[in-house]
Amino acid sequence: MTAVEKFEPKIIGFLCNWCSYAGADKAGGMQLSYPPNVQVIRVMCSGRVDPQFVLSAFEKGADGVIILACHPGDCHYKEGNCRALQRHSMLSLMLEPLGVEKERCRLDYVSAGEGEKFNRIICEMVESVRALGPLLVAP
Amino acid sequence: MKIGIYFCNCGSNIAEKISSAAVAEAASSFPDSPYVKIVDFICSEDGKLQFEGSLKSEQPDRVVVAACSPRDHESTFRRCLTNAGMNPYLMQMVNIREQIAWVTEDPADATEKAIAAIRGAVCRVRLQQPLEKKQLEVCPDALVIGAGPAGMKAALSLAEAGRAVVLVERTPFIGGLPVRFEDLFPAMECAPCMLEPLMGDLLHGDHVGNIELMTMAELIEVTGFYGNFIAKIRQKPRHVSLHECIGCGECVEACPATSMNEFNSNASERKAIDFAFTGVLPNAPYLMEEICIRSKGVECRACKDACPMGEDVVNLDELETIVERRIGSIILATGARLYDASRVVGMGMGTLPDVYDALQFERMLSSTGPTGGEIVTADGNTPSSVAIIHCVGSLDEDHKTYCSGICCQYAFKFNHLIAAKLPGVSITHYHRELVMPGKGAHTLLRHAVGNKNSHLERYGSIKDLAVTRDSNGRLQVSAKGNVTPADMVILCPAVVPADGAERLSALLDVSCDSFGFFQELHGRLDAAQSTLKGVYMAGACQEPMDIRSAMLEGMASVGHTLAGLQPGRMIEVEPSTAEVDETRCAGCRLCISVCPYHAITFDSEHNASHINAVLCRGCGTCVTACPAGAITGHHFTNEQIMAEIEGVLQ
Repeated sequence: MTAVEKFEPKIIGFLCNWCSYAGADKAGGMQLSYPPNVQVIRVMCSGRVDPQFVLSAFEKGADGVIILACHPGDCHYKEGNCRALQRHSMLSLMLEPLGVEKERCRLDYVSAGEGEKFNRIICEMVESVRALGPLLVAP
Repeated sequence: MKIGIYFCNCGSNIAEKISSAAVAEAASSFPDSPYVKIVDFICSEDGKLQFEGSLKSEQPDRVVVAACSPRDHESTFRRCLTNAGMNPYLMQMVNIREQIAWVTEDPADATEKAIAAIRGAVCRVRLQQPLEKKQLEVCPDALVIGAGPAGMKAALSLAEAGRAVVLVERTPFIGGLPVRFEDLFPAMECAPCMLEPLMGDLLHGDHVGNIELMTMAELIEVTGFYGNFIAKIRQKPRHVSLHECIGCGECVEACPATSMNEFNSNASERKAIDFAFTGVLPNAPYLMEEICIRSKGVECRACKDACPMGEDVVNLDELETIVERRIGSIILATGARLYDASRVVGMGMGTLPDVYDALQFERMLSSTGPTGGEIVTADGNTPSSVAIIHCVGSLDEDHKTYCSGICCQYAFKFNHLIAAKLPGVSITHYHRELVMPGKGAHTLLRHAVGNKNSHLERYGSIKDLAVTRDSNGRLQVSAKGNVTPADMVILCPAVVPADGAERLSALLDVSCDSFGFFQELHGRLDAAQSTLKGVYMAGACQEPMDIRSAMLEGMASVGHTLAGLQPGRMIEVEPSTAEVDETRCAGCRLCISVCPYHAITFDSEHNASHINAVLCRGCGTCVTACPAGAITGHHFTNEQIMAEIEGVLQ
């Protein structure tokens, strides 16, 4: 148990420029602290998040990946977040057979105003990956 | 390769949590990073000068700026690179303020996280390529479709600004729906009097040289893209020369063929050659081929012979023509119509006499209408009671779920006009909701409420109402069993997009919403822009609206046109867009189906997709979708993103 408690997961967060990245900035502006485990990769749209990026993140040592998109209907590029959702569903199906629990790859929606929600999601994600422990099987 | 790292303390904002010394030490082990410069406020005037000076003396190949959010100052620092003679796309920012310093409690954690993020940026920026904004010549002129209030306002304002405008109108006249009305809410202003100066300017004003008005015309094809559209327009034959006709009507007198006049709601007759209605502009008749007896093989030239202006005014053999115009932008102002009230069961529309929709009643009120402005029943009597039914097809799950917004106001206008023309007549309003927004509308409601002969009855569902005839044949309205006689019933149907909106939507590839109105690019931010770049919309083709809003929207669309396209100025095309490598494209066309901007077309000659950089907005969805990896998302390439992932995880 001690080993698990000390485990600090590495998590990659793919954030779209217009909503979720702005939401993360909002959390910053509100000075809402959260664990430092998530490294943010900015993309213009969640529709740019290639399943390859997610697999590569796991391969390079990430214990979790979170994709944050604009809310459905609010995508700056109209429907890129729908593509992200489709690709995430596909990834969820693919990951389990590879030995990666699907909870390690989460998709959620954060608007530019939702600093508190961003903070909550990051805290939840870090906790859930921490509970899963290190990713031992490289896909 | 030499990579320069610039670390901004942001006063104490960053320095308090992230140790620049620790960053500098860690960076010494990063590949190709020979120096880290610490700046106190890099976005300040001093900071920028220091930054630019350092770039000039150090001459790095790539630059990493660890500071605030790129959403704050990416463009600021890109300009610094440009000033220092570097390509602005050779910089990567790391957001160590909003996303690290301000949100991490422990300084050691924050420093460690910042070092990893900067390492990611160093790995990424090595792969970034210099990109150039492309310049493209554009045509500043515009096509406006629809000559109602919104379209006229837009065309006139563009012409005033010196732009050439092609104004295409489907009907034989200008002025749209309101030119057929007598009085307008909220102030009972005379509609033709209000519109006449505008229409006069359009036909004979100071800037008429910039306006090409095409009535009885429709858009049939558009190719190209923002700044460079080619429009094909079908000009139907009017058979009367607009330039030479003086509008005397001699030809109308002489014409032997008659039919019903659709512009008077089919409530009066017209000749084969006739005006749409009295007072119409342009003041010239038009010939309806399907009514003219020549179409039945009879040799007739009565109209031509009657014309006092000579042989050339009436041209019986005129044929339809197709013309092509080059334009840079398109304004859709195709307006609205009324929902077919006969589709609402129980209203008696089309089956009972003296049941009218609002447009038919507007024509009855009009002095140029079929009754010359008199309110009379079908058998010529003056009604002693009138029922006005609001929300016919609006706010209705079975028809249109939205509120049409303008009906309550014109319904109370009707109340006012009926009471003025027929004092003592009893008027009953059946309404579901009452919507009277704005600062002017309430006066009409107050007049109605203050009129002792006016009654307001609220109903829950239109199914509770029935328009029937009693045993004597007199019209009556029953509301949940409460029966009230009515000699005339006026229905206020939902406002729906004009016919042809769907065709235009398909032709231009602009989206419509679920009700068939043109869809905004963004409901609040970009409400006058359609989903296709360079195509704007104005007026009731977008949603039900009154004349005031339509005119304002006309101006809004002009604002977009003038701001976006200027004579002699090229448009700049962002380089961070997607590009197809034709040699790797397998021709599956998946990219075309995922592109939200219709920016991708298929080049069958090369069997490859092609991305129009003007239309591409750089979302990268196609890049991810391409199974062959043939699409590069400039500035967000797979290699750059993968390198960043690897860098932060090291």
